[in-house]
Amino acid sequence: MSENTTVKDDETKKNDDQTAALIVAQTFIAFSAIYWFLQIESVRELLQLAYG
Amino acid sequence: MPVSFFSAYSRTIAASAVIVLSIWVFYGGLSAAVYPGLLGFFEWSETTWFGVIGKTWGAAFAFIEAIHLIALAVLGGSIIASDGRVLGLVLTDVSARTVIDRTHTLFAWSLAVLLFTGVFMACGVATKIYYLQVFWFKMLALGAGMLFHYFIRKPLYQYDLSELNPVVVKMTAVSSLLVWFLVAAAGRWIGYSG
Repeated sequence: MSENTTVKDDETKKNDDQTAALIVAQTFIAFSAIYWFLQIESVRELLQLAYG
Repeated sequence: MPVSFFSAYSRTIAASAVIVLSIWVFYGGLSAAVYPGLLGFFEWSETTWFGVIGKTWGAAFAFIEAIHLIALAVLGGSIIASDGRVLGLVLTDVSARTVIDRTHTLFAWSLAVLLFTGVFMACGVATKIYYLQVFWFKMLALGAGMLFHYFIRKPLYQYDLSELNPVVVKMTAVSSLLVWFLVAAAGRWIGYSG
């Protein structure tokens, strides 16, 4: 009985760790994509202003 | 029922709360409210031993900066090796568990050296970096990277990776690479600003 509970607890903890990782990873990837896109855009605009 | 949900998903709830809090602090006006009050601390840090040595003895600053950069290279290498192994790109002839465990020790030491040398360097140019937006951005990235490494990535990588959802494992590895790349890039950016 207690062994079943421990297995269930481990499974729940694993699910929690995976869900947390998924949420944070999605946030980082989305943030990085937007951030670097904006940085590259600003460099592109500066180069266009400087060299046409 | 709600109590069991909160205890079962405590890490997920904490991680979501930290994300929302960070967005609120940086984009919700709280950082702008706290920012002026920090100037006194930055001015004081230039008067400490670290600040005086860093400002008046260029060789000491250069020496510490060299150690900072070497530690950054070691930290970057440990991240590329472990996350690259998880993604199946490098060191594929060694087990992922071995690479993750061994690189974690390197990561922890290099991070400690980076923090110590970083504080020294920051004291030497405190009133300059206070006004640099990229410095605050680097601090945000560094904080996010450390929290991510110790509270998300490390607990996840302690499991047998084959038992985890492969998409989650690969997204975690990619995020880790991205956040430390951002820390390194923002760090070098400080050097070319102001």
